[in-house]
Amino acid sequence: MNKVFPFAAVLGQERVKTALMLNVVNPRIGGVLICGAKGTAKSTLVRGLAELTDGMEVVNLPLNVTEDRLVGSLDWEQAVRAGRKSFCPGLLYQAHGHFLYIDEVNLLGDSIVNILLEVASTGTNTVEREGLSYSHPARFALIGSMNPEEGSLRSQFIDKFGLYVETGGEKETAVRVAIMERRLAYEADPVGFCAQWQAANRKIRTILHRGRALLGGVKAGEEAQRTAAELAQAGRCAGHRAEITLVETAKALAALAGRTEATERDVRQAAAYALPHRIRESLTLESAPEQGKGEGRQEAEQQVRQSGGQPDRADEATDQDEATDREVSSEGLSPLNSGAGQGDGEPAAITESKEGDGGNDSASPVPGEDGTALTLEIKLSRRDRITGPGKRNKTRTDGRQGKYIRYRQPVGKTSDIALDATLRAAACRQKTRARERPGGKLGERLALTVRPEDIREKVRESRSGAVILFAVDSSGSMGAHKRMKAVRGAVMSLLNEAYQKRDKVGVVAFRQDRAEVLLSVTRSVDLAQKYLKNLPTGGRTPLALGLERAFQLLKGEKRKNPDCLLYLVVISDGKANVALRNGDPLADALQAGEAIRYEKISSMVLDTEQGYLQFGLAQKLAQAMDSRYVKLDKISGQEIRSNLLDLIHR
Amino acid sequence: MNEVNEAQRERPGYPFCAIVGQQAMKEGLILNIINPWLGGILLRGEKGTAKSTAVRALADVLPVQRRIAGCRFGCDPDDDSFWCAECQARYAGKEGGRDRKQAQVRPTDWAETEIVRSRMQVINLPVSATEDRVVGTLDIEYALKEGKKKFEPGILAEVNRNILYVDEVNLLDDHVVDVLLDAAAMGVNSIEREGISYSHPSRFVLIGTMNPEEGDLRPQLLDRFGLVVDVYGEEDVEARVEVIKRRLAYEGDPVGFAAAYREEQATLSRKIAAAQRLLPQVTYSPQCLRLIAEIAVQLGVDGHRADLTFIKAAMAHAAYMGRTKVEKADLLTAARLALPHRLRRKPFEEGVLDQDALDRIISAATL
Repeated sequence: MNKVFPFAAVLGQERVKTALMLNVVNPRIGGVLICGAKGTAKSTLVRGLAELTDGMEVVNLPLNVTEDRLVGSLDWEQAVRAGRKSFCPGLLYQAHGHFLYIDEVNLLGDSIVNILLEVASTGTNTVEREGLSYSHPARFALIGSMNPEEGSLRSQFIDKFGLYVETGGEKETAVRVAIMERRLAYEADPVGFCAQWQAANRKIRTILHRGRALLGGVKAGEEAQRTAAELAQAGRCAGHRAEITLVETAKALAALAGRTEATERDVRQAAAYALPHRIRESLTLESAPEQGKGEGRQEAEQQVRQSGGQPDRADEATDQDEATDREVSSEGLSPLNSGAGQGDGEPAAITESKEGDGGNDSASPVPGEDGTALTLEIKLSRRDRITGPGKRNKTRTDGRQGKYIRYRQPVGKTSDIALDATLRAAACRQKTRARERPGGKLGERLALTVRPEDIREKVRESRSGAVILFAVDSSGSMGAHKRMKAVRGAVMSLLNEAYQKRDKVGVVAFRQDRAEVLLSVTRSVDLAQKYLKNLPTGGRTPLALGLERAFQLLKGEKRKNPDCLLYLVVISDGKANVALRNGDPLADALQAGEAIRYEKISSMVLDTEQGYLQFGLAQKLAQAMDSRYVKLDKISGQEIRSNLLDLIHR
Repeated sequence: MNEVNEAQRERPGYPFCAIVGQQAMKEGLILNIINPWLGGILLRGEKGTAKSTAVRALADVLPVQRRIAGCRFGCDPDDDSFWCAECQARYAGKEGGRDRKQAQVRPTDWAETEIVRSRMQVINLPVSATEDRVVGTLDIEYALKEGKKKFEPGILAEVNRNILYVDEVNLLDDHVVDVLLDAAAMGVNSIEREGISYSHPSRFVLIGTMNPEEGDLRPQLLDRFGLVVDVYGEEDVEARVEVIKRRLAYEGDPVGFAAAYREEQATLSRKIAAAQRLLPQVTYSPQCLRLIAEIAVQLGVDGHRADLTFIKAAMAHAAYMGRTKVEKADLLTAARLALPHRLRRKPFEEGVLDQDALDRIISAATL
């Protein structure tokens, strides 16, 4: 028996505990999203909760779940045995009336998220597959835990979570020591440890039980409802779910405290849990919510830490103290607010940093750079590439990379068989088939005969990253050095997000009579730091060479990974004065540009031409490449950034 | 008397003890054998620094384990807290239980035929591994013959109570990484896919290697590794010569070469086994924990895994040295292994651990 770490034995993290407990008392709240850095007991708490919810289960949804197990499918065993079509329930069926827990919820595949969104909206799971038609109610509270460093959630998805809490590591030494001691004791003797904490756990269970019993009789008065509406309004929350959740949460708070009326104060306390992920404007509330119900343990001082997350928000630690005014601010929630809606298979819109957010656009200043903070928030479209027959990737050994998301009928021969789907297809048809003998075996009969028409193949989804190559003019024109530094800044910020998106960045610099690959296409921040340290400038402008080199690099990347998206950013004033061969420097450059266009590489030209006399050569280049063209009066990281955003926005 | 099952090899592998230098790497690996719940180890370094050699060489010094005969997951007869569902069902009455504090096994009524003794193994996860091979899948043969669902275990089943070795872990497909993370965290592999709904124990030591020039590792995955060692080639010319010499000698006569190190290997093996037995008795002073907590706060590590790994590594080291009390030497070693990858790196920072400062803090403290 797996002895799970007891809920009561987790030190601190009072807010998470409260949020979870509120949901047990009142499941209509709709779950909770727990967001925080690694190693902060997120999953531990949820798994520990399972022991405290009488009657309600915590159904776990693993990340690599396939559709058939999520929504349910044909029960092929029944079909084979009894020749009957029946429904084999999936996780959604199991979770009805219970909790559905997703660890690392921000890593969940798009197709699964879509299903969850639909079911959460309608409250029903309708299955139409494999000749089966079935429908059942599916209402559950979603609990999710995530580490914002790994990526954000779609805003429609975030909205499905009733409450939102953050976790952080403890900063007080004494508390850290206590956490260590408990964990070590648990690992040394799990059974004994759990026995020790049984009493405390039982206490919580009793409190929850009482709360649930009381809930039915709890009323939210006129005042309370009005306050809820006001708060939701002030926060400019979308729709009306905010206030409904507020009221339900307030009721749960009252029930937990043993009262039958949800007061205005309850609503304000509830706001700290129910609003942070919904508001679009900062709100100020009075007093912190009540912490820890009846446990009589010393509360650890909580510091809500905004972990790593998106680099364009300054790190803010919010002290939670009973006496201070607490500001519920959407600014602290950078990881979530930047998730844009993403259609299935459609190019995603860029998630811009919040409009009108004024001063918060910049990151903490970067020492040694221009002094301009440079942050990039680029969400490239997650194009779901579907690989299938006829599109064999030469670079992959058997073309079976990628996550299996669904099945389909194959066109032609296939070796990537979806076994479960094939079996289900075969199972339906057993009645009309004689039980065949497999060739050669004596007296053995198959229980299930599979024919070629039953074969189903897997549809796989793999993420396509982007390759962003900078071709920078480092010739002796004015501001070359500054330009290089700005590019370096841009590269570093791109790379800091690159692991999330599987993007790669490279830099080609051209000057004097050659083009040099300063940074070969990489995802490694370490390498970028290493190779971009020295940025030589000066000399003439071999624009055509630079373009050609960039072109070669990009084509090489495409060969290695046919699924990747290619972007070229050219930063120059266009004043080419070194030719490729013996021709006209500008004509050569334009020709190189056309070749780039021909290969359908998306590009952008940042024109750094300054001064009164303008030749507009960079513009000509942009036309040849069919690229976006932007004129920059002075190079700054900010400008590169916002223009890059535009480039990727399709 | 049950035989110890040894893998038959045509040619003996390069002996662990014959690896030149690389103390940190060897120590890190050894500590993970002494305490398999230390969290594994990540070896970061350029090519040709004996990373893979060392891991494969481990095979010979790994301890022999007791497993329940016939169990697909190799359950431990002496510890029923992590038994698979099948063993739980079958052996519900058995008194399998280890009171770890006492390091004594309570009397059990296992018959000799119910136990198998075999060495802990290093199992390789290839970079191109597909999810179904890793997680397990439907037993197609059984399905066709009997018309019933049966789970066919994958690598995560094989690897229970063993070592999972992932070379070039930073090149692994995302969704395979997700699966590993999940199992590494919970010690359980839960499968809900392709018609299967099943779960089984999967507790393993995760050893990964990577070349940092190929790209960074996801922070989530990085955090799951208990220890990290940055491996560099030997700087010393003498040492380099020795590396060449030994390698050539091995290539020329593997059997003879291995034989020459047999004594040393056996000693190491015994030392590790002794440390394992001693580990449950290792203690630490409260000041130890305080010091660790303070260091963690100063370094600004994320979460609490760093602290735990730190103390566990120190304890394993103490056991390895034959002591039952954690001392400064243990903390010094543990710090170097458990902390480098935990520093929260702000954008544009180097994120390098100041080893000397750390050493000073530890040496100056009173335990």
